[in-house]
Amino acid sequence: MDRRELLKMVALLTGGVVVGGEVFLTGCTAPGTADVGFTPANISLLDEIGETILPATSSPGAKAAQVGDFMRVMVTDCYNQKQQEAFNNGLTQIDEESKKLNNKTFMESTPEQRKALLINLEKVARQQDKDQDTKEEEKKEQAEREKKEYEAPPKHYFTMMKQLTLMGFFTSKPGATQALRHIPVPGKYDGDYPYKKGDKAWAE
Amino acid sequence: MADNIYDAIVVGSGISGGWAAKELSEKGLKVIMLERGRNIEHVKDYVNANKEIWEFPHRNVRTQQMIKDHPVLKRDYPLQEAVVDLFANEKDCPYTETKRFDWFRGYHVGGRSLMWGRHSYRWNKWDFEANAKEGIAVDWPIRYDDLAPWYSYVEKFAGIQGTKEGLEVLPDGEFMPGMELNVVEKDVAKRIREHYKNSRHMFVGRTANITQNHEGRVACQYRDRCWRGCPFGAYFSTQSSTLPAAMKTGNLTLRPFSIVKRVLYDKDKKRATGVEIIDAETNQTIEYKSKIVFICASAFNSSWVLMNSATDIWPGGLGSSSNELGHNVMDHHFRCGAGGKVEGYDDKYEYGRKPVGVYVPRFRNIYDDKRDYLRGFGYQGGASRSGWGREVAELSIGSEYKEMLCEPGDWSIGITAFGEMLPYHENTISLDPDKKDKWGLPVLKMDVEIKDNEKKMRKDMMEDAKEMLEAAGVKEVTTNDSGYSPGMGIHEMGTARMGRDPKTSVLNGNNQVWDAPNVFVTDGACMTSASCVNPSLTYMALTARAADFAVNELKKGNL
Repeated sequence: MDRRELLKMVALLTGGVVVGGEVFLTGCTAPGTADVGFTPANISLLDEIGETILPATSSPGAKAAQVGDFMRVMVTDCYNQKQQEAFNNGLTQIDEESKKLNNKTFMESTPEQRKALLINLEKVARQQDKDQDTKEEEKKEQAEREKKEYEAPPKHYFTMMKQLTLMGFFTSKPGATQALRHIPVPGKYDGDYPYKKGDKAWAE
Repeated sequence: MADNIYDAIVVGSGISGGWAAKELSEKGLKVIMLERGRNIEHVKDYVNANKEIWEFPHRNVRTQQMIKDHPVLKRDYPLQEAVVDLFANEKDCPYTETKRFDWFRGYHVGGRSLMWGRHSYRWNKWDFEANAKEGIAVDWPIRYDDLAPWYSYVEKFAGIQGTKEGLEVLPDGEFMPGMELNVVEKDVAKRIREHYKNSRHMFVGRTANITQNHEGRVACQYRDRCWRGCPFGAYFSTQSSTLPAAMKTGNLTLRPFSIVKRVLYDKDKKRATGVEIIDAETNQTIEYKSKIVFICASAFNSSWVLMNSATDIWPGGLGSSSNELGHNVMDHHFRCGAGGKVEGYDDKYEYGRKPVGVYVPRFRNIYDDKRDYLRGFGYQGGASRSGWGREVAELSIGSEYKEMLCEPGDWSIGITAFGEMLPYHENTISLDPDKKDKWGLPVLKMDVEIKDNEKKMRKDMMEDAKEMLEAAGVKEVTTNDSGYSPGMGIHEMGTARMGRDPKTSVLNGNNQVWDAPNVFVTDGACMTSASCVNPSLTYMALTARAADFAVNELKKGNL
């Protein structure tokens, strides 16, 4: 087994992982539909949601990394039907939540309002995902005992949007080479390399 | 070659087949290596080797189409965008699962030597003695000392990086300078050694990654992208190592798209006369003749070839007179261990991406240790600082959150165990009479499970990991058993075992089929037991040893 795969397993073991291999690891019995039908407005909305999560700072933000379009590709090609439905519903729900909190749609909101909304949504999403995980545990264990494949139900739509934003940004060229450091061919290994606060992490 | 006549036929081009082709052709034999899949040319055909993550449309994540096309591969990590084309087409090449069996195959030149984990360990003396001592299955017909010089021989050519540790349980080999542990791995290793008074050890995994230029290959550049094929040839594969050596002799013909259907057998002479293939592209049937045949088609497919051969004499196929052909399937059971956080080391990081972590050799059921199960397990693992996927306390979005994720997180370390699986006669593969592949050939049916011995061992595999890490000062240690299905170790072994008696084994101590001494099986199929260490180095050594024996016997006129 690859060290890369081992380290992923370690990350899962040690908990606290927002985006791990497990997100996409489970199989699926109902493949997604080919055309999920994202509109240019959807992509703009997702770009702005992404930018609120990971804004431009001294390095480019999520929008510069085109996370909206990345989400379109991933939801269309990699999500199963249930995940696609949950994600698509999220596109309208997020505006409803926005209206409740800020009396305007997400796109009409100020950066501060957007931020307040997403901080709220994150709390709701976390709780909902946690409750669902607890409920699913028994099912999952049963599937393991019976050596059957287990398919997890979709996470809260905001969890999906945030995961895709992180992945879409940090694996993009601007994310990997400007927000992080990337050396395609390191040429050597140093396992005792000095680090000081503020130094950027390596991209994979 | 005229009339398709060669001195030797090698079936399969993976780790074992590549070695057979190299050894036989270097000893002057005219050799044809038959590979069922397409050709992959070294460097030129490693299409993803130099791609950056953002150049993959799905950033190496599996798509629904990939999941649909790979109903088996999707069950574990190998299904990834960057390597998906290196795994067998499951629609064309189905198999039957009486019980769930995860079979991850590479049907192309180089086989799984292109995608292997590269861990390369010698077996120890106890591994070869255990069956006899414990009354399990049958005794190995060879001992460590028979194989030791061949381990040295293959290590020198393959290029294994590692450190000499002087341990009986994991004999040292001919190593290139070992890759460095990182600062956390080093300290954890030191604390484990101290706590267990030098009875447990952690050191760099021994892998077939070269750390010095070697045989025209360039030393590892620490990209950690081995899986996609290495443009530097820095890890051992058929393409980087054995194939160029064999080609240099001018004695080797490589024929891709050649599915070997059966061994041709002369019952009067009790010898194979060659093989029959189907051209995978044209469906044409062709015969190749030779003095000797090396079957290295990967464990199960090697036995599949035997099962389809000489059925007019033995309905169960060549080698079935022992009633052991297809039996005693083994793998390594794994996916359980422990991990936790390592405090401090905030001023330390890594430069470069090393393709290997740590190894902890077996410590159970050796010397005075006695458990309620037989055999043991070893660990692989590693320490690293977490990346952007981590949870950040108190922050969920915004500039500050982003800036934090742009820096590395805390250190953590984890180890996962690989356990020995006993050879059970009732763990079998057989031909499924009801299902055929794309070429109308019968497919395999798997009926394999782990039993009490493995299940008991798994508890130790988890708990020992936790105890060791805690003893080394690792915090918040959690154990994990992600579940195991046979095959997931991708270390299929057995089904044509070596032994001392033709009544209870398929092969003798030189890997010859008892019923056809000019047919050799030297891949995972030949294994009589499984040890707990990664098996490929042992296949290399067995193959080189058998090739040497075969050529000597040919010269003596015994084959």
